[in-house]
Amino acid sequence: MTWFLEPFALGFQQRALVGGLTAGVMAAVVGVWLVLRGMSFFGDAFVHGVLPGIAAATLFGFSPYLGAALAALVMVAGIEFIHRQSSLKEDTAIGLLFVGMMALGVVIISKSKSFSGAITSILFGDAFGVTQTDLIQQGVLAAVVIATSFVLYRPLLALSFSRAKAETLGMRPGLTHALLLVLIAAAVIGSFQAVGTLLVFGLLVGPPATAALLARTVPRMFVWSVLIAAFSVWLGLVLSYHWGTAGAATMALVAIVIFFVTLIGSWLRRSVLERRATGTAA
Amino acid sequence: MSDPLAVGRELVLAYSTHVAVEPSDFTIPQGVTTIIGPNGSGKSTLLNALAGTIDVRAGSLEIFGEPAPAPHDKLSYVMQSLNVAEGTPITVREVVAMGCYPKLGWFGRFQAEDRRRIDAALARLEVTDLADRHLSELSGGQRQRVYVAQGIVQLHDVLLLDEPLTGLDLVSARIIDDLIHTERENGHSVILTTHDLDEARASDWVVLMSGRVIACGPPDQVLSRHNLEIAYGLGALHGTSGEFADDPDHAHSTPPKASEAHSHREGHTHD
Repeated sequence: MTWFLEPFALGFQQRALVGGLTAGVMAAVVGVWLVLRGMSFFGDAFVHGVLPGIAAATLFGFSPYLGAALAALVMVAGIEFIHRQSSLKEDTAIGLLFVGMMALGVVIISKSKSFSGAITSILFGDAFGVTQTDLIQQGVLAAVVIATSFVLYRPLLALSFSRAKAETLGMRPGLTHALLLVLIAAAVIGSFQAVGTLLVFGLLVGPPATAALLARTVPRMFVWSVLIAAFSVWLGLVLSYHWGTAGAATMALVAIVIFFVTLIGSWLRRSVLERRATGTAA
Repeated sequence: MSDPLAVGRELVLAYSTHVAVEPSDFTIPQGVTTIIGPNGSGKSTLLNALAGTIDVRAGSLEIFGEPAPAPHDKLSYVMQSLNVAEGTPITVREVVAMGCYPKLGWFGRFQAEDRRRIDAALARLEVTDLADRHLSELSGGQRQRVYVAQGIVQLHDVLLLDEPLTGLDLVSARIIDDLIHTERENGHSVILTTHDLDEARASDWVVLMSGRVIACGPPDQVLSRHNLEIAYGLGALHGTSGEFADDPDHAHSTPPKASEAHSHREGHTHD
């Protein structure tokens, strides 16, 4: 038992756990819609795309949350502009903005040699550097994101089913899609302190993808996703303490390992059931 | 004679720079109307315009005397192809229940009456025993029945069906065909697209399309050899407008008289 409790004995370790859990739950809830909408590539591009905003904020001394929000806005506007003004598919538009924003972030970083450490913590997280103020900001953002996600349940479910059908059902898919982008941006911005902008993607996609393998309904998918995210954060921090590895990266790695273990488990279960069915038929 | 369901005047429909329906005048009465024409003739585009999923580019389109789109409680649309991702964890019952969304909005709670409508639709389309399955676990015909069940759960005066019988097994086709009749008996109108001439002949009214509305009227007038040659390109395609105007078979674009509609219904092959 000591092995599991020892990593959370000190204040900064407890804050790392609370920050990680908040980020994990927020990402797991929004991630369900991301996976159901088939927007994982967008999510990946998005977490890279906020880099120049955060880099500029650090360089010019304004809020990194504001910088990330501005970068997210530029990213979404750019993707929509390409999508509307050309016949290119959305994934091409996302790819262009992905590379463009990432490159811009690196260009901004390369202009200053003094904050490479801060940028590293933005990219890969600094779980043990989370302050009380960070937790309060993160908590407020998480409450808004989770509440909005449930308020939008019906329009998001219709949109995940079919955009055209959502239109005929009066579910306003354009507005719903825009609000989903805001939710994704908020989840990324609210998580980068605890788990980093790059590694938050592991919590955005890993737990919901695993939940999709286990659940037969969307509400159950939410339950599984949140439980897996919370478990990944906790186990990731425990393992990082004992192994001396990076906290945020270990959390993300646990989430992905759980996905593969579940995938292999469900494949084995299906194989056994198919073999039994074949045996019964014979 | 009741008021027309839809009236198009010089109606033009387009996707970006592609004009799908050139200026067309037509009237669709209440009852069962079939829109027929070759691939790319604008059938589904016209249905989309009636459903309000694409805007009128030029001219006008009125539904029940009001400019399109009609309110969501007047018109229910069952699309031909819904690309629902495999593995989406939505059960058949949840899919059918979505038909209540226009009535309930984003937040309204399901009432006993809504649940009764959902159960009735599942039973009517004979998918009650599939209620807890996922769409990915169903055959194409079963899936189409689920989409139609969703369509009839939605409050409506008009049911729009985009090629509802294309590629279906016999059982599914019979169930949906029966439903079209039941809808009319319940006082609802049905507008469907099809490639099947027999299906068109069995309806009250036909709209024949080929990039524009070639003709509309009772089936025996619209589905003349001459009109079909124009629509399907089996005969002379150029300079047809003059020939068409002189064609004694050219159907009128006003709703049929009640006696015409009645006499036509007598000969339905749907039955």
